[in-house]
Amino acid sequence: MEEKLHNRHALVLSKEYPQANFTWIISLIISVIFLVNSFSFTTGEMNSLVFAMFIAYLATTFLQLFITRRMKRDLLDTGAIQKKTRRLGYVQLLSLVSGNVFAAAAAFNLINERKTPEYTFAVYMFLTQLFVIAISAMNMFKPYVTDTFLVSMAVLLVITVFHAAVLIAVAKLVRETDAPRSMAMIAVFVLLTAVTGNLFALLLGWSLLLKSISNDHSRILKWHVMWEKITRNSMAVFGLFFIILMLAISVTSRFTFDYDFAVENDYGNILQTPSLAYPFGTDNFGRDVFSRIVFGARISLLVGFASTAIPVVVGGFLGGIAGYYSIRTDNVIMRLLDVLYAIPGILLAIAIIAAFGANTTNLIIALSVGSIPTYARTMRANVLMVSNYDFVDSARALGTSDLSIIFKQVVPNSLAPMIVKSTLTIGGAVIATSSLSYLGLGVEPHIPEWGNILRVGSTYLESHSYLAVFPGLAIILLVLSFNFLGDGLRDALDPRLD
Amino acid sequence: MGKKLLTIMLALIVVLAGCVQTKSEVSGEKDGGDTKGGGNGKVTIELLGTSAGEDDMNIVRDQLIKNGFDVKLNIQPDYGSFKAQRDAGNFDIALSSWTTVTGNPDYAVRSLFKSDGDNSNIDDSEVDALIDRASTETPEQFIETYKQLEQRIVGEKAYIAPLYISFKAQGVNKNVLNPDTVRLAKSRAIAWETIDFNDASKRDTDALITQQAIGSLTSLDPIKGNDGSINTLNTNMYVRLVNLTDDDHVVSDGSLSYNYAIGEGNEDYYFVLRDDINFAAVADGKAVDTGERVGADDVVFSLNRAKDRDAVPDHRTYSLHESMKDVEIVTDLAELEDAKLSGGAGSVLEALEQGLEADITEIVVDKTAADSSAGKYQVVKVTTNEPFPQVLNYLAHQSAGIVSKKQVESINTYDVAAFDVNKDIPYGDQRTVTEGASYDNHLYASGPYILVKKNDYQADFVKNPAYRVGSEFEPKISNVIVRFIEDADSSLSALRNGEIHLFNGVPETKYELVENDDKLVLQKNDSNAVTYLLFNAADRAVAKSENLRKAVLYSLNQDEFLNYYQGNKKKAYSTVSPLVDTGNELIADPTKVEESLADYQAE
Repeated sequence: MEEKLHNRHALVLSKEYPQANFTWIISLIISVIFLVNSFSFTTGEMNSLVFAMFIAYLATTFLQLFITRRMKRDLLDTGAIQKKTRRLGYVQLLSLVSGNVFAAAAAFNLINERKTPEYTFAVYMFLTQLFVIAISAMNMFKPYVTDTFLVSMAVLLVITVFHAAVLIAVAKLVRETDAPRSMAMIAVFVLLTAVTGNLFALLLGWSLLLKSISNDHSRILKWHVMWEKITRNSMAVFGLFFIILMLAISVTSRFTFDYDFAVENDYGNILQTPSLAYPFGTDNFGRDVFSRIVFGARISLLVGFASTAIPVVVGGFLGGIAGYYSIRTDNVIMRLLDVLYAIPGILLAIAIIAAFGANTTNLIIALSVGSIPTYARTMRANVLMVSNYDFVDSARALGTSDLSIIFKQVVPNSLAPMIVKSTLTIGGAVIATSSLSYLGLGVEPHIPEWGNILRVGSTYLESHSYLAVFPGLAIILLVLSFNFLGDGLRDALDPRLD
Repeated sequence: MGKKLLTIMLALIVVLAGCVQTKSEVSGEKDGGDTKGGGNGKVTIELLGTSAGEDDMNIVRDQLIKNGFDVKLNIQPDYGSFKAQRDAGNFDIALSSWTTVTGNPDYAVRSLFKSDGDNSNIDDSEVDALIDRASTETPEQFIETYKQLEQRIVGEKAYIAPLYISFKAQGVNKNVLNPDTVRLAKSRAIAWETIDFNDASKRDTDALITQQAIGSLTSLDPIKGNDGSINTLNTNMYVRLVNLTDDDHVVSDGSLSYNYAIGEGNEDYYFVLRDDINFAAVADGKAVDTGERVGADDVVFSLNRAKDRDAVPDHRTYSLHESMKDVEIVTDLAELEDAKLSGGAGSVLEALEQGLEADITEIVVDKTAADSSAGKYQVVKVTTNEPFPQVLNYLAHQSAGIVSKKQVESINTYDVAAFDVNKDIPYGDQRTVTEGASYDNHLYASGPYILVKKNDYQADFVKNPAYRVGSEFEPKISNVIVRFIEDADSSLSALRNGEIHLFNGVPETKYELVENDDKLVLQKNDSNAVTYLLFNAADRAVAKSENLRKAVLYSLNQDEFLNYYQGNKKKAYSTVSPLVDTGNELIADPTKVEESLADYQAE
């Protein structure tokens, strides 16, 4: 009886089981979407490519369902997942071919019994690289590719092979609190590959360096526990994956995509339906929507990050000062910010754009100004709390200057809520950017920006709906990713949830 | 196994790499020199437009960039801010459009290109001379003159760069309206009085619901506005001496005159007036017959104030009527008998009598004494400064609508020179018909309908109870509601879901939607709307350099516009193109662009 209860606990506590469940459900949903889209209800024709995708996803779903049931049986019977079941993960890796990142991630998770954050980083680093290559490779169906395409694809392939090797090494060698010293060399190379925008490489490299070189066990443990918590939340990791994928695509598209496909009008190819050469079709000017969305990611990410970073710094500074100093300073700063807070953010942005003209810089400023007060408030509340702690008192007793106390002691200890808040608001900034473009107030209409693309699509909703569906999906996915990541970060950083 | 896989992969990659072509290989095959290579010496052109013209701006931008220019876009959200930017001169080229609502070529060039035209920024004596010469010529003669004019304006001097001629398209709900009764004219605004429901029993109970984009009405005084906000409304509220047919011929059908005749020398124009139209007014939200007949004194009053720029403050249409010298009531029947008909045998009197119920036996000055069945008629004579047959087109324009002398004089008691917009309320001010405290409807309508009230969302019209009662021109439907819907796509949705019955201005890219809708029918006709690029004539480089203007002109490829609009546009050479077939055509020519740019840079 007790063993059964124990096994039930194992089922609940298992990291793999909920993810496996999630995987087969989402695979089933996606396969149904493919099924519905493979059949045209108006013409009665079948799209064989989409139907093949449906078959692939359905197969993945059934395999995953089978794996899930075996996992459940293993856990209930023995309290642990058996080797045989884990080996099925290798079969499930095949789902990568159909681009099913959920199944692939679940498979990687299943294969390796020893879960370290480094292993997760390495898996997603590898997956990101694969997806970047797959997306870039779509260009081969175009009439021509950019001059740098072949070279950069070769470089990307080499990096991918290297990442695969690192993944195996990490799975074999890295343990929870330390890694062999030899890993330090690899870590440096991994860090270097982060210039492709693949920030998982940055995380992995940093993590490996820390574990292989540092002797500061508390630091390693802190890092390990934090990422352990984040990576346990698979939605947060998927969010992070999509954000980093977009970032990597933005960086590599400079070399693998031709900007002319995204901005130059091609009157011979107006409003083409999705095909291999134009995966998301072409818009009313014959521009490739796929290229436009890829290049649009750049602006969305840039504006999203910049218009969050500026209020974090400015608001954080003002909030820090206001929270630390006397009532008068506090009152002056906070009341002034209250005035700013009283103006609706999007209206303020529209007013700024209308007055100074529409371009990316103004867009960033317009979106930044409105959210300064909220960051100042968050920072102030934390500073008020932290500045009463003992270590601040002791710093003061040692005669440290105010500024030094604020920025060396108080602010670093008040950062966690700011990080969480900013992650959650980047999504809002992405939406605001697109909204302004959608209203014709953002960047110039021919520039590929998701809001612009969506605007063109919105007038063709009925006749060519794909023009609106794909940019809409891109916006939804990016915002959703930031929200999931923000949730994960909050769970990991909030001391009350320990 | 791993090694094998790797070799296969590598082989595959090499094969694939051999298959793809790089950009420089492709462009190398097409042409040797990449025009975009020399980035430093590019000329920047600032293109101004409204967000409604965003698509055209994008095409122009793309064509200019492909021809080695740099383009800066200046997109304004609405026409008001666009006009402010244009007046401030913040542009090199501005996306403009012109619709010749009078259907005559003179109007298409006079105000735009003549040095004293009210919309002109061109000062060229040769252009002036050609415009004046063409205006006195017959249609056969003026083709050559307009051809020369076009070549001067576009080919030689490049004052404007033409883009395309639009079609007019109108969607009609055929489940509700009888599409055969809905007119779609090339130039004139739609006439509501002919429109009828499929079910005639609904004429008095249901309203015809139509749409227009602008809800702020410039003025309901016909001479104080000439824009999309009032053209259709004033056309249906005020009757004119003549009308245009759907293909721009001047006729008396549906007008205040039974007949008109042109006197020998093309300077005298005679109109014999109807006696079956009374002015309508609004009382308690209903239209009432004022009992006051629309007569010759009202015609003389209306046309005199139309040509006098000081008749009202903010007169918008006097330049259309400048050609008129005198307007008078004919008092002597002998004058008509003596006057010879232009270009034909017979007297003016005979021409005027054609098709009349009773011959003209007496000419009366007092309008109440007119009685067509007894042969008592009123006749008005318009004299022009020079021989100018196209004056008839201007008389068919809504700004020549007939207003009540008595009513307008009783309202416009202010001093024109000292007019204060905050204090004085002129005749036709939209404040007087807007729901609310300032509502005080003082309109007197001579046309088939009268405006009862309006708000931000719609304007309500009812039929004039004393407008040609019993004739085929008596308004069929009693109530007309005009919805104000700014966005064309929203209007289209409103048409499709049955909220409106009639939508004039279906976007070119949406014809298919209307055609595929079972309950709708799409009516298409030519129009006189020309879209063109206007060059800054004041202080930019394009103002000074003819070569730079030509470089822009020859960068434009009208075929690409036609492609974009799926063939639903026509090529244009100037604003005259839809009215006169001059045979001129603009052909994109990259070599001319290069030459002109080189000449410009050498200047």
